[in-house]
Amino acid sequence: MDINVRRRSQVQVIQLRGQVRMGPGVDSLQKAIEEALANGDTRLVIDLTEVPMIDSSAIGILVRFLASAKRNGGSLKLVQPCKFVVQTLRLVGLLNLFEVYDAETAAVESFS
Amino acid sequence: MPSADNPGDDKKLRELLHLTVPAHFEAVASAADAIAETLCRLEVPEQKRLEIGLAVQEALVNAVVHGCGNDPSKNVTCQMQSDGHGRIIIVVSDPGPGFNSVSIPDPKRKENLHSDHGRGVHLIRQLMDEVTFERRGSEIRMWKY
Repeated sequence: MDINVRRRSQVQVIQLRGQVRMGPGVDSLQKAIEEALANGDTRLVIDLTEVPMIDSSAIGILVRFLASAKRNGGSLKLVQPCKFVVQTLRLVGLLNLFEVYDAETAAVESFS
Repeated sequence: MPSADNPGDDKKLRELLHLTVPAHFEAVASAADAIAETLCRLEVPEQKRLEIGLAVQEALVNAVVHGCGNDPSKNVTCQMQSDGHGRIIIVVSDPGPGFNSVSIPDPKRKENLHSDHGRGVHLIRQLMDEVTFERRGSEIRMWKY
């Protein structure tokens, strides 16, 4: 899995590419979010456009840090999850927990 | 009792893949990839491939974490077979003591919804058509029709 982190209009955008699963992929995602929160960046956008699959450990990270971000006045929003990722989130009853956007710009602007 | 049309009838099964890998996340990810490649070669439809792939990933991770205690000196085995009807069975086993599959909390209950773990077995059951646990839970058998 590849990860690209950048800042856009006071929002931390974390772009992922490839399967996000237990091991280095999930570790990288966790580290990126932890660093953002440690720097006081609680407005997080996770771009899933190029992610074909996430496993339950990745879902656990997203849930955990959604709660952390919200506790600190921000949020964690998802961009363009594919049909299978949407299905996966629905199967575990979490689809409605996240704000989901069709485009990164829309997700970033939703914070303003 | 198993019959020719019953997915429990192992006598008719053809072995597609048999892997033994160290209990390490990168090793089991490679095993999951090998399963996905085999399914692709068999021209299994994409949606079915994705569902099997995620279920296998969850089973392998459970085997590493719970069955092997994250000890890479231990091994996890993964076997994929098909029957005469094109149905796929995948068996993942570990050397651990097993677990009680009935006692797993429902991750969709309100009190569990915000937990950062505990969704793997639920996902496997949702993604596959038939799931059984053998050897006191240290072996999971997953069917996709």
